Amino acid sequence: MTDTAAREMPLEPENELQDDVAVVDDHGSDIAGHDDHEGHHSSLGLSNMKLAMWLFLGSECLLFGALISTYLLSKARFLTELVALNPRVLDGLRDGGMPEELIQEFIAEGSVEPIFDIPFTSGSSFILLMSSLTMVFAHKAVSEGNYRNSRVWLAATALLGSTFMAGQVYEFTIFFREGLTYGGSLFGSGFFTLTGFHGAHVTGGIIMLLSLLVLSFRGKLQSNRAETVELVGLYWHFVDIVWVLIFTIVYLIP
Amino acid sequence: MRRGVRRFWVVVLSGALLAACAEDKPLNTFEPRGPKARDIDSLMVWIWPIMGIVFVLVIGGAIAIALRNRVRPEDYDAEDLPAQTHGNTPLELAWTIAPAVLLAAISFPMVQGIWSLEEENAEGDLDVMVIGQQWWWEYRYDVDGDGFFTDANGDGVSNQDLTGDDAELPLDISLDPDDIVTANELVIPAGEQVDLIMTSRDVIHSFWIPRLNGKRDTVPGRWHTWSVEADEPGKFTGWCTEFCGLSHSRMRMSAIALSAEDFDEWFENQASPAEIPTDPDALAGRELFQNNCQQCHVINDGDLAYADDFRTNVPLVSLAAPDLTHFASRTSFAGGVYSTYAGGPEDDSTDANDDGLDPDVYLQLAELSAAPDSPDDYRFNAAELKRWVSNAPSRKDMAPDANPETGLGRGMPAFESLTDEQLDQIVAYLATLD
Amino acid sequence: MTTYDDQLALPSGLSDGPRQPLGIFARPRNANGFVDWLTTVDHKKIGIMYGAASLFFLIIGGVAALLIRIQLATPNNTFLSGDAYNRIFTMHGTVMVFLVVMPMGAAFANFLMPLQVGARDVAFPRINAFSFWVFFAGGLMLNTSWFIGGGAPNGGWFNYAPNNGVAFSPAAGIDFWNIGLLITGIGSLTGSINLITTVLNMRAPGMTLMKMPIFVWMTLVTQFLLLFAIPVLTVAQVLLAADRLFGANFFNVELGADPLLWQHLFWIFGHPEVYLMILPAFGIVSEVIPTFARKPIFGYPFMVFSGVAIGFMGWGVWAHHMFVSGIGPLSVTAFSVATMFIAVPTGVKILNWLATMWGGKLILNTAMLFSIGLVTQFTIGGLSGVSHAIAPSDTQQTDTYYIVAHFHYVLFGGALFGFVAGFYFWWPKAFGYRLGERLGKWNFWTMVLGFNLTFGPMHILGLQGMPRRMQTYDPAMGFGLWNMVASWGSFILALGILMLLVNVVQSHLAWRRAGRPNVGADPWDGRTIEWSIQSPAPSHNFDVDPAVTSLDDFWHRKYQPDETGKLRRIHTGDEIAQPGDPTGVHLPAPSYWPIVLAMSMPIVGYALIFNLWLMIPGVLLMTLSLWGWALEPADDLDPHDDDGAGQGDSASPDGGDGATAEPELETVS
Repeated sequence: MTDTAAREMPLEPENELQDDVAVVDDHGSDIAGHDDHEGHHSSLGLSNMKLAMWLFLGSECLLFGALISTYLLSKARFLTELVALNPRVLDGLRDGGMPEELIQEFIAEGSVEPIFDIPFTSGSSFILLMSSLTMVFAHKAVSEGNYRNSRVWLAATALLGSTFMAGQVYEFTIFFREGLTYGGSLFGSGFFTLTGFHGAHVTGGIIMLLSLLVLSFRGKLQSNRAETVELVGLYWHFVDIVWVLIFTIVYLIP
Repeated sequence: MRRGVRRFWVVVLSGALLAACAEDKPLNTFEPRGPKARDIDSLMVWIWPIMGIVFVLVIGGAIAIALRNRVRPEDYDAEDLPAQTHGNTPLELAWTIAPAVLLAAISFPMVQGIWSLEEENAEGDLDVMVIGQQWWWEYRYDVDGDGFFTDANGDGVSNQDLTGDDAELPLDISLDPDDIVTANELVIPAGEQVDLIMTSRDVIHSFWIPRLNGKRDTVPGRWHTWSVEADEPGKFTGWCTEFCGLSHSRMRMSAIALSAEDFDEWFENQASPAEIPTDPDALAGRELFQNNCQQCHVINDGDLAYADDFRTNVPLVSLAAPDLTHFASRTSFAGGVYSTYAGGPEDDSTDANDDGLDPDVYLQLAELSAAPDSPDDYRFNAAELKRWVSNAPSRKDMAPDANPETGLGRGMPAFESLTDEQLDQIVAYLATLD
Repeated sequence: MTTYDDQLALPSGLSDGPRQPLGIFARPRNANGFVDWLTTVDHKKIGIMYGAASLFFLIIGGVAALLIRIQLATPNNTFLSGDAYNRIFTMHGTVMVFLVVMPMGAAFANFLMPLQVGARDVAFPRINAFSFWVFFAGGLMLNTSWFIGGGAPNGGWFNYAPNNGVAFSPAAGIDFWNIGLLITGIGSLTGSINLITTVLNMRAPGMTLMKMPIFVWMTLVTQFLLLFAIPVLTVAQVLLAADRLFGANFFNVELGADPLLWQHLFWIFGHPEVYLMILPAFGIVSEVIPTFARKPIFGYPFMVFSGVAIGFMGWGVWAHHMFVSGIGPLSVTAFSVATMFIAVPTGVKILNWLATMWGGKLILNTAMLFSIGLVTQFTIGGLSGVSHAIAPSDTQQTDTYYIVAHFHYVLFGGALFGFVAGFYFWWPKAFGYRLGERLGKWNFWTMVLGFNLTFGPMHILGLQGMPRRMQTYDPAMGFGLWNMVASWGSFILALGILMLLVNVVQSHLAWRRAGRPNVGADPWDGRTIEWSIQSPAPSHNFDVDPAVTSLDDFWHRKYQPDETGKLRRIHTGDEIAQPGDPTGVHLPAPSYWPIVLAMSMPIVGYALIFNLWLMIPGVLLMTLSLWGWALEPADDLDPHDDDGAGQGDSASPDGGDGATAEPELETVS
């Protein structure tokens, strides 16, 4: 659901902003009589879209908070049962095809760390972080009306995001081959759900970025629409920050 | 505390009406019969009158103001405005702070109450393991009193492990041949706090004997502790109070408190194997039991093999069923729904859910019913038991058909292939298991 | 006061057509009225649809309640089987909470809040329409489980794990509960973002936060609660769906899962949920009581801050639903104390309402009676609430009928009484006529009698030890008498609700027979600015932006002190009301896409439950409607819309200009 909501929010401003353009053109500074979606004035001095985006991101905090808590609980319970050699938990891992050495490593270390490839994930995390930087540049370029740069930076952001996603898909494949299946263990369920949810958010962001790029090539992304880019940027930065949190909690903290 | 109820409700409804109806309520929360329940009750005895006063002031005030300040439509005058008070900060602060102070005052005894309910009994006192299952209760007694039950691997699990914070707990619970395993009726010595160590095999249930203590959930995968204590011998009715699926309303239980001597006698009897009957009908019944019932039920008579598959691997979905070793020593069956014995001098119902049982006859029920002199005497409830054995799902909602996902059903299936005579034989056998 | 000099008309003089001033009730007379309702983005119509949908679901939930009461009237009754009973009580709770009380609050928030803040519509009208339709789609999907998929859900409205797992509830009913509510949750989330934005950002000039009507404040708090509570429920539902449909193990105890995870997630949502159901009703009576006491609300700042305090504290008390779940004495202590103190702001509200009535000149009409009904009945629910905030006492009371009595006093005697008061109060503003007072008073007294007969005895039953969710009970338990009383009471209560529906029909017919007389802008001598526009509210709301200078602005324009300082009525409401002249106003155009997008959601839901191939049409439709939504010109009517309603809007050169202006601006390529 959040995915859908996420996708439609940034698409919405196109119309709102069209109105503004029109109104401004027609009546100079006089937009108060125009009572469309954008309203006659803004009590907070913040556009409706931006306020809505902040509210949406506030709601997303609770979503990821609940998912992260679920993951932490699932991992803890999984490890407790595994270290206690609960036969059902062991069978669950073996049925997924997990090699015995890896299971023994889990048990010996009392941690799920052996399955992670920290350098690889650090790399893809770095890529995702860099995309926040390019996103900032993209917004700057659009506000300055620099269309060529805005396209370059938007494309770069989308590309970096896609690279991160490719990394996640690759990582999932490797984990799956190593026997960490979705239904085989509590840890698998928690891990794939949390990172998968984040991945879906990144994918949603990439779709938004590509839509902006299409708009730009159709000449509809002028500086008066910088706010649309800013909103996508807000979402994108949020998704990045959430990843920093997830990366720390899932991969780095033993 | 019936006095407390009355004080509170006298303003809601007629107190006299309530008093007339407060008799014979086996689950009444205002009739504590043990120290824990009394703690709760005496905490509330202060609260009910306070609530009553607030109730009268607010509701009475609202009605009084409405009547006094009422303006009839014909007297309405748009120009005639009442005084336009906008508020009164000191007054409002007062009625913000006053309730806060009152509630803070209440919270001191309340916090004390919370912790006192958690107090455990002394080392070496009786602990009973309580296992909820759709839709009956299993109890296990630690026979040698060392505080140990056993887990599936035969390893000892002590009650200390079970209550510790970082306990690594087994999900599988198997029968220890030395344990007493019984169902639905929790037998306890009167005047002694008995700690309960609780879990569930399938869904969440809640253990509640209102006259002895409040309730606590039994949650699969978790161990919770709780306790009961009865002042005097008696029967105390209870009911599962967490929604647990199809037959939630028929998951009932009771606690039977016995005097110390009676309890010891009961304990000794339960710890010994069942006697193999001599009566030919009952013997035939025993054979039928072995062929039909033993997949799920256990009768330990020193000869009969255990249902091994469930001893070593108790599934989370029921295949386990009540241990019937001393079936006839219990006053109810089918999850506390049906009475094993009808009649008796004090009781003219066949109801399992009243508390009319005289605890003094509890240990002699089987004997008393063996030779009834008059229609009022105890009789073995063979008719109901026979209906139950032949078609349990028609007597209590259950879902015995195997679930395609798990291959397991929940509850007892019908045994329609058994003839009338065979059913009689099984019932005759069960009647000997005192 | 209101001059039209500052009216900022678009030069083209756009109008909503010659039918102005139009009531929101006028369009259904139109031959194509049906399509108009399906595609409208007008917050008032959406509010009315929320109200109609919640009444529709109220009938479903009410019939379920009556079936429950018939079953429980006598011991060992066999009217309903255990299975049927479990499904019916599950649906009763789920429907009443998610499809009746919540949308009824949304109905008032949608209809009223923009009028009270002086906005022309909500911030995002199409998303508003989408919120309604997605709620309705999810509600309908949930209710199709009566007929398909092996029966209605049977896990209770709280749907505890692991009883909600496939192993224990193999039929698809739980999936309907799960996916259906997940879908309605989308509507709640988008709705909350929309309404918060509207309150915060679209207030009339001069309406500072502390000049907002209390209903608007309560709406704001409610929507913030929704905003943060819904994602937590969503996570719980996603985990359950993952378990049931994709073999995950979040609640699989065999692999070590802890079933209490569900309870924590559910109640972190569930307790704010309780407050977001009651706060709109608090807002309503905070408007009704001052109007009919004819004096301002007593202690406005206290009323506001107590509402906000309830909103905050509502997040810190969820585990009081879990006092017997085995969360440990430390947690129980903390949550028990926190729960006790949430009684403080609630008590402040009740006393302030009484203080508002104190010294007033009360007009005891139906709306006022229902408001006083809320104050008194809710007090009873609040008091019983304190008795189980005390955790030791709660170990005796929880999961008994005492709790059932408690939350019905809070949700029925509280929320629903407040909503009915709101219906009687704002009905003229929505439809242009009053509901009948005579039948209204019968309605009130029947409901009060039936309500107290039904739920009053449940206090006794609960304290006598009758647990909840029991299909039947034993005669020896002694519950027979009060259950019989409660069952009779429930039918009296049902009669009371029927009277409300009859009153609606009867008053409407009477109004029509009388030739649709105009009820006037201000039938109650109202206080807030929604009474300064015509009734029914014209589709453009305000002719000009109302300039607000004080709390109860409209009332202060009618009543001003004379030389002696005595308040005099210098105008009637109708004299200074805006005439409803739509000149120069142009309204957001209706759209097909909200309803189409909403209807694609249950298809995806059915796909998850029955057959993943259904995903293809579902996702295609969803993508298509998102695409259509994004590309739809803002002011043009949808090209497929040929119903003629509001064609005047499509003449707008504004949208056209917007579209054509852009290529001209294209300088880089």
